[in-house]
Amino acid sequence: MSGSRKIDILTRVEGHGTVELLREGGKVTGARLNLFESPRFFEALLVGRRYDEVAEIACRICSICSTAHKVAALQAVEQALKLQVSRQTGLLRELAVQGGQIESHALQIFCLSLPDYLGTSGFSGLAAAFPKELNQGLRLKALGNMIQETVGGRAIHPFNLMLGGVGKVPQAERLRLIHGQLEALHDELAGVVGFVSGLPESLPPVSALPFLAASGGPPLFGDRLTASGGETVMATSAAAWLHERVEPGSNAKVSRFDGKKTFMVGPLARLKLSMPDQTSERATGALLSSSLLARAVELQQALDRAGILISCLLDEGVGQEPPVAATPASGVGTALMEAPRGTLLHSYVFDKGICTAADIITPTAINQAAMEISLQKLILLMNSAGYEEVRSSCERLIRCFDPCISCAVH
Amino acid sequence: MKRLRVAITGLTSCSGCQLALLNCEAELPQLLELVDFRFFPMACSPATLESDYDAALVEGCLSMPHEQELLLSLRKRSRYLVAVGTCAAWGGVAALKNDQDREQLRQQVYGTDSTAALETFSPLPLNAVVQVDATVTGCPPEKEELIGLLTGLLKGSLPTLISYPVCTECRMKETLCLLTERSALCLGPLTLGGCGALCPALGVPCEGCRGPVPEANLAEAMEIYLQKGYAQEAACERLRRFCPGWRA
Ligand code: SF4
Ligand code: SF4
Repeated sequence: MSGSRKIDILTRVEGHGTVELLREGGKVTGARLNLFESPRFFEALLVGRRYDEVAEIACRICSICSTAHKVAALQAVEQALKLQVSRQTGLLRELAVQGGQIESHALQIFCLSLPDYLGTSGFSGLAAAFPKELNQGLRLKALGNMIQETVGGRAIHPFNLMLGGVGKVPQAERLRLIHGQLEALHDELAGVVGFVSGLPESLPPVSALPFLAASGGPPLFGDRLTASGGETVMATSAAAWLHERVEPGSNAKVSRFDGKKTFMVGPLARLKLSMPDQTSERATGALLSSSLLARAVELQQALDRAGILISCLLDEGVGQEPPVAATPASGVGTALMEAPRGTLLHSYVFDKGICTAADIITPTAINQAAMEISLQKLILLMNSAGYEEVRSSCERLIRCFDPCISCAVH
Repeated sequence: MKRLRVAITGLTSCSGCQLALLNCEAELPQLLELVDFRFFPMACSPATLESDYDAALVEGCLSMPHEQELLLSLRKRSRYLVAVGTCAAWGGVAALKNDQDREQLRQQVYGTDSTAALETFSPLPLNAVVQVDATVTGCPPEKEELIGLLTGLLKGSLPTLISYPVCTECRMKETLCLLTERSALCLGPLTLGGCGALCPALGVPCEGCRGPVPEANLAEAMEIYLQKGYAQEAACERLRRFCPGWRA
């Protein structure tokens, strides 16, 4: 028996994708990832729009990552218009991004991934069999959203983050309340990391790929790409180096990098690249499946960082300030940052305030090549396994990357 | 009580309307006792279509044939079909350039010699293809609206579309009017309420994310813009960000 069979649709991931399994003589011999999500052509939609509309529209690329998209787009536009925002705005944006990180990681660990380890079908199964774990995850997720709402005005598509500043600056009172909650959950987080590291291995030992992340700024921000081989690429040349191209079988462009290497982005890559060895040791060895633990460690880091940012804001005295006024100008701006799933790039060209070109490169698009290679490795390791077993492992493997397919295709 | 059997899916979208539901952290555990999420690929496995649902909640607009197939199939299998969010209701941001040739847009992003043959068409709201029993707008909708939708469905009732503008909610909240007091181009007068005037409450002009108010309320709105020195077209053009093709 030969031919291929498709997983109907990948579940417990954002967006629409599938894996096609190639079969020969009753064995699975290969796998193809297919991101069939409908493109919205954001890069074309943005052309012709005014400078003050670009970020409002671009954040609609994806909901889970909308704060990251909003901030990256704002930074790129401000760079192009040579607009300098205040320190307070910078701190608030950073705080919103950490809120997004907390929400996204809590959602992925507790609602999307945990069912694989605990043998349930999704969050509804968890509610019945593991209410304690689910509730803990939901509490963390809610705190991430509370931060995003406080700073961004809304957890999804944060309108309060504006060009040049923020609409209404959060009240000190409210920030103190969040700080209290961060502290209250802090100790629980050690337990979460312990719990996740104690989960049984769910995949054959597929090794991780070389890593890539933005660096050179505060956590999750930066002006360059750093790869585990030591390569450094500045933001302005990042798009060329990532080398996206259209390939059959995916509606998302695929990064082929410099043509020779493949990199993965995301929590594991960030941990390995940005932390001293000793600390990153906690995120186990070099297996792809340790992505989940990396996410848990990052959750803890995000809580800590959010606490520090709030302390800074309170110490320096938060107060209402009008956004810096922008004037329509010409220029180019490129922003790099780390969205929950990995490196994100927004780049725009403006002519007298009108966008004439847009380039957006997202983590899941970058991870496609790594996902393909990892699928091949998995199939080789599962040489004698039956279809159902391979199929379920493929889904688990893809979930290690926490793909966001709306982002990938946009 | 019999649990409500629902199917939830996204078409051409950002998953924000589905995430808004998953963001009801406080209510989710209780909702799970009342609602059986039978088909919800974003959050539950496996995702296999079954014979029937009490309701299908569909996010996003339509821009590819496979989505049309799924939508028709959900329509056939479901007692009620609800359009959730601005994309499903009006087309949303994905439809921003519906006045342009789709193939040209494709080439602008994917290049002319692209190998990916895409069966994409200009994004349509759901009611262009199927009968929609109820609509919840918003980009994204408010969490309370989604909980209200599900609890209503449990009792067999459907939500009615709000017809008053965002301004009404501003007045109820006694929020400073950005249009009359600050001469900002706020779309409150033209936009469907239901969000509690979220943006103006933080001093940010409404960008019209819930779509246009019924025609009957338009004349009065246009009058205010004229008084403030805004051309009618400037306000309409803004509103088309979420409801492309809309004309006053
Ligand atoms: S209505 Fe807004 S939040 Fe909902 S899918 Fe469309 S873009 Fe996303
Ligand atoms: S005020 Fe306007 S833009 Fe803001 S949420 Fe309400 S309808 Fe949407």
